Amino acid sequence: MNKISDSLKKNKTYLISLALSIFVALVIGGILMAVTGFNPLEGYAAMLKGVFGSTRVFGNTLTKMLTLCLTGLAMTVAAKAGVFNVGGEGQLFLGGLAATMTGIYLQGVSPLIAVPLAFVSASVAGGLYAWIPAVLKVKLKVSEVITTIMLNSVAIYVCTYLVNSSGPLATKDFGVLGGSDAVPEAFRFAQIIPKSNLSTAIFYSAVIAFLCWYLMQKTSIGLEMKVTGENERFAFFAGLPKDKIMIWSMVASGVICGLVGMFEVYGYQTRFQDSISNEFYYDGMLVAMIMNYNPIGIILMSFFFAVIDIGASAMEFSTGVSGEISDIIFSIIIFLMAAEGGITKAFTARRQQREAKKRLRKENE
Amino acid sequence: MEHVLDVFNIGLLQNTLRTATPVILAAMGGLMTEQAGIMNIGMDGMILIGAFAAVAFSYACANAAMGVLVAVLCGILIGLFFALFVVKLKSDEFIIGMALNTFAGGLTVYLLRSIFGVKGTFSDSGIVALPKIHLDFLDSIPVLGPLLNDNSIFIYITWILVFLAWLFLYRTPYGFWMRAAGEHPESLETAGISPQKMKLLASILCGIFCGFAGAHLSLGYLTMFTEGMSNSRGFIAFACVIFGMANPPKVFVAALLFGFLDALGLRLQNFGVPSDLTSTIPYIATILMLVYVVVSNDKKKKKRAQKELKMSVDA
Repeated sequence: MNKISDSLKKNKTYLISLALSIFVALVIGGILMAVTGFNPLEGYAAMLKGVFGSTRVFGNTLTKMLTLCLTGLAMTVAAKAGVFNVGGEGQLFLGGLAATMTGIYLQGVSPLIAVPLAFVSASVAGGLYAWIPAVLKVKLKVSEVITTIMLNSVAIYVCTYLVNSSGPLATKDFGVLGGSDAVPEAFRFAQIIPKSNLSTAIFYSAVIAFLCWYLMQKTSIGLEMKVTGENERFAFFAGLPKDKIMIWSMVASGVICGLVGMFEVYGYQTRFQDSISNEFYYDGMLVAMIMNYNPIGIILMSFFFAVIDIGASAMEFSTGVSGEISDIIFSIIIFLMAAEGGITKAFTARRQQREAKKRLRKENE
Repeated sequence: MEHVLDVFNIGLLQNTLRTATPVILAAMGGLMTEQAGIMNIGMDGMILIGAFAAVAFSYACANAAMGVLVAVLCGILIGLFFALFVVKLKSDEFIIGMALNTFAGGLTVYLLRSIFGVKGTFSDSGIVALPKIHLDFLDSIPVLGPLLNDNSIFIYITWILVFLAWLFLYRTPYGFWMRAAGEHPESLETAGISPQKMKLLASILCGIFCGFAGAHLSLGYLTMFTEGMSNSRGFIAFACVIFGMANPPKVFVAALLFGFLDALGLRLQNFGVPSDLTSTIPYIATILMLVYVVVSNDKKKKKRAQKELKMSVDA
């Protein structure tokens, strides 16, 4: 208990600014709703109802939280070692496609063999796709930010081609618009709450999240990653294999993204479609950034983001406010949190000035 | 052979100009911030907001010029906004850039739905497109005539803007200071000029250029607004800035090259290549070009260092 209160005290200003940022963002979102002719209170009420109204929708929220949390951790694993993986979206697509195809190909085989193989294929696809920009970055010093963004578009277009209308992997099922064949029922993850998106993927996600946290906070590899990320030169002079660390953190990040793609399909989407992810990775990335790449913080923040995100779609359904408001609220929180240091500095500077002036006046009197 | 000629014709070059122009415009903005020492990956969002503002006001005022004007005004505002966070509050450029892209995506779609009540795409005969220019004397020139004629007015304005950007950066004191703000802010400060102000100016200029790029995209290149229509062009522009080492004419050539590949992709669709596959061409090309430029620069640097070493040994 002592430890928790200590860390709370240490992060007090951070938590206060976080709460303030969220509050300001919600107020701005409310103003935007009011300006465009909606009642903000009604909107936010619809949002809460859409998230906590029934166990089914709450299950969907938890599923969304898992996705955000895992993508956020994927970003964190790479960022800790000083590499920015902006390409998670593409890795997610390829991982999802690889796992789906493995499942379809192994139809009739025992799930005990097929499902682990699907895990492997998703990891390999995601990891390999992250390995390319990682090697370009480490060996040739090509900025990974640009290459990963470009690779996202490539992966999404290729997947779209493969599974849509006349593509080679498109389904022949009657009445299905786009997408691959469905993964055999025996391989899909069991549903925890009937009719919701929540499946046993939650347990796998928990394991991955725990491994990430353990790796980063409790092992020497985590420390080496941190050192490399914070000061590459120092890592070099300390004799750390910094190239290897950077490449492997990026690959690990890609593996997680690939698995997220698999969870999407095996968890509730059942077939691979080009709409498998609607920029999920970018949302997770932003969560990670807001929380300063702190694993525990990411888990908590993912829940908040999931509430806003799922709630916004419910709000769109019941009140007509566009669900995109969630993106606006997210980005305002990020703007404010990124500027947190600057804003607090400006405030303290002003306070000090005022105090100095007061003292001066007193001395003059 | 016949097929090759079918693909490579005047139409291809004309398309090159059309597709390259938004990237050129955004890249001119990006090179300003790059020169001033800001890594700006928020251009995609800036373009998107410009494109939306242009369509909205062209429709509302039934006047394309109003659309462009408001797009540029929005550009200035976003530039100021960007500078407030990056320059004044010293936030992380990467985070602010990414957040700006998300913000722009969310805001444009939100406004699209709440103002125009549509999902996805807004196209209406009420949107006034930018005029096309026809010069009679060009008709008499065989190849160049049809290539340069009947283009949207922005294509010509872009060439002037590229020249102006070069003039500004390399022939005016402001340009000199801006480059110094990126290269050696301390000396600029010693000379009595605030690097912060130069960075602010660069952000505003970037916003203006991206506003132009967005306006061209939604009123010149197409006459509609689509969700996420910037389609990573801001990132490609950023890559072009890096290829061209933030030098306007070089960046211009890099962007043209990109436009050519994009146009080639569009062209190949007519020959039965699936459009989703041809769409990947510019992105793959961007990666390859980036690798090439980085590697060749590295080699040059090494060669120069070796030469200098030799000289110092000889002396």
